[in-house]
Amino acid sequence: MLNIAIVGCGKIADSHALQIQRIKGCRIVAVCDREELMAKQFSERFRVQRYFSDLTELLRQAGPDVVHITTPPQGHFSIGKQCLEHGCHVYVEKPFTIDTREAEELLRLAEQKGLRITAGHDDQFRHAARRMRELVRRGYLGGPPVHMESYYCYELGGSSYAKALLGDKQHWVRRLPGGLLHNIISHGIARIAEFLTSDMPEVIAYGFVSPRLRKMGEEGIVDELRVIICEEERATAYFTFSSQMRPSLHQFRLYGSGNGLLLDQDNETLIKLRGHRYKSYLEQFVPPIVFAGQYLRNLAANVRSFLAADFHSKSGMKYLIESFYDCVRDPSVPLPISHREILLTSRIMDAIFEQVYGCAEQSRRACDPAPTI
Amino acid sequence: MEFRDLIIDSSDPVLVTGAAGFVGTRVVEELLARGFRNVRCFVRPASDTGKLEAIIGRCGGEGRVQVIKGNLLSREDCIAATRDVAVVYHLAAGRGEKAFADAFMNSVVTTRNLLEACVHHRCLKRFVSISSFSVYSNQGVTRRRLLSESCPIEKHPELRGDAYSYAKVKQDEIVTEYGKKFGIPFVIVRPGFVYGPGNEGITGRVGVGTFGIFLHLGGGNPIPFTYVDNCAEAVVLAGIKPGVDGEVFNVVDDDLPSSRRFLRLYKRKVRRFRSIYIPHGISYLLCYLWEKYSDWSGGQLPPLFNRKTWHAYWKKTRYTNEKLKTRLGWTPKVPSTEALNRHFESCAKKSQHA
Repeated sequence: MLNIAIVGCGKIADSHALQIQRIKGCRIVAVCDREELMAKQFSERFRVQRYFSDLTELLRQAGPDVVHITTPPQGHFSIGKQCLEHGCHVYVEKPFTIDTREAEELLRLAEQKGLRITAGHDDQFRHAARRMRELVRRGYLGGPPVHMESYYCYELGGSSYAKALLGDKQHWVRRLPGGLLHNIISHGIARIAEFLTSDMPEVIAYGFVSPRLRKMGEEGIVDELRVIICEEERATAYFTFSSQMRPSLHQFRLYGSGNGLLLDQDNETLIKLRGHRYKSYLEQFVPPIVFAGQYLRNLAANVRSFLAADFHSKSGMKYLIESFYDCVRDPSVPLPISHREILLTSRIMDAIFEQVYGCAEQSRRACDPAPTI
Repeated sequence: MEFRDLIIDSSDPVLVTGAAGFVGTRVVEELLARGFRNVRCFVRPASDTGKLEAIIGRCGGEGRVQVIKGNLLSREDCIAATRDVAVVYHLAAGRGEKAFADAFMNSVVTTRNLLEACVHHRCLKRFVSISSFSVYSNQGVTRRRLLSESCPIEKHPELRGDAYSYAKVKQDEIVTEYGKKFGIPFVIVRPGFVYGPGNEGITGRVGVGTFGIFLHLGGGNPIPFTYVDNCAEAVVLAGIKPGVDGEVFNVVDDDLPSSRRFLRLYKRKVRRFRSIYIPHGISYLLCYLWEKYSDWSGGQLPPLFNRKTWHAYWKKTRYTNEKLKTRLGWTPKVPSTEALNRHFESCAKKSQHA
């Protein structure tokens, strides 16, 4: 039985606890939050025996095997380090750390101690995403990826998170080096990083404050981002983050030299894009039928998962946690997300923020109305 | 107004949290109308203070009202806001939060910070905490199903699937705890559904529109409405009347309309839409099935509908405001018929602008 602890009892911790409770062979033994009341309410709701407001006490008294870090990102590094030094395996919510320097140090420490660590890129473990990975592994693309397009959008209107962020100039998200982008884009960037082969691809980023936010008097939150990522003479990728465009997409398109794949997270569908063309007018008649068949098969898969009670909104998190626990139990099982991928995601994000915040400063000074790409 | 029979004088500082909110603005208006000269309004930095400023201007509140922007999650802000304060009207709450953690933080942690600040200053004469009818379990209430202040509170609010009611139960607990532990004189006010211009939605006690068509669940149930002006007066009285420390007051108006009547009037006076009446037996069964499926599937469907929710919101229940009338001398100054007319007028205007 694996003993699990959760540090940070905010909203995302609920998702962790719900998914952990669905996994056999583990139990949450303790929770911790700097605000004792938060730790207490969490322990009451999820029937966790012990709660703490001091991490040192939790590690000493509860002795967990694995610690999930679900605090704001500013705390990930120091908490992760303390847990690793205490001999615990660590699951860190996204974004992994504030920057690459911290990420490198945490990963190095985990390797030195022979402990396992992962980042909470759970979207990559949803049903359709796992089907996509399996197809790529079996060579459906016909070779290494040539080009990728990742859309990871966010609707700012309406959500309580957005209200809290826009209404509070001291909100912790604003204090991140990459602001709102920092807290959201890692899912979409990690998807690209998974298929890149170089350690530091070239990154060209452009970001700006949307006209809508400017109208609200908001100058500090960059909510539109376009990125080009290229590996020398190998794969390229586009990344789009937008709070304005509709539909608010969460899609990943992966093209190889033979075929392509279209992953739509919102609809939980995976569509095969056949590289070969049909002759003459058949190209206009056959593919729509083939696509209709593929969408029906996706529907059937979704219904099957739902009927099997395996279609939770955070289903990817369950699979990521489960895979992580498997590699904790058995050192021969590989990590669900490699250290290389975590580092590459972090490096790309650092490069984006460095360019965007310079760019946003310039556009604030020089451009009115807001610049377009 | 006569201040002789009250626990504070007109010049004593009074703090209203959530002062820019739907009820908060009316509480400030009521305080000014009663002649209080030192009203401190605490609002969030991003709050729209237009309505509050208009009320201050209309009631001649300039010089009598101080507007403070801050965050109740900051202990320093709470200490500053409560300095020298004689009465705290704590109306700020995490309304509309779907996540339990957010609702808890914005209702309970904030309340604890305010209470700590009051303990620090040691000059408080009363802490008025705004709670809700949703804290009652409404199970085991048999005597003609009359819901009063003595009815049991939900023992396991975490199982109801409603973050707001969970946070309100916990807020009541912490207020009571500080009353016992540190001698903070408190009163808990539990309004029913507060309605009027500014809150044009249809309460879930009438029905839900989540599934495309409006499901009318209330049927012949009286709906525990309280018109915003009536509610604000009850809240103000709870803070100034002597001899009610430690008491709880439910706030509902007289002559409550049934759910069916409210819906009929709404359709006639505001806008027409399709609705289906779900009899109580069926709605109970559906809630039961939803609860069981949610349990079985490990939360694949969130536990929004369950038997506890049904008892709290859709079980036929009668309400009383007897204690409010006898102990605080409150009477609803806007009768229900007039209140409903004003409400529907405002709904119709909003519907036209939408």
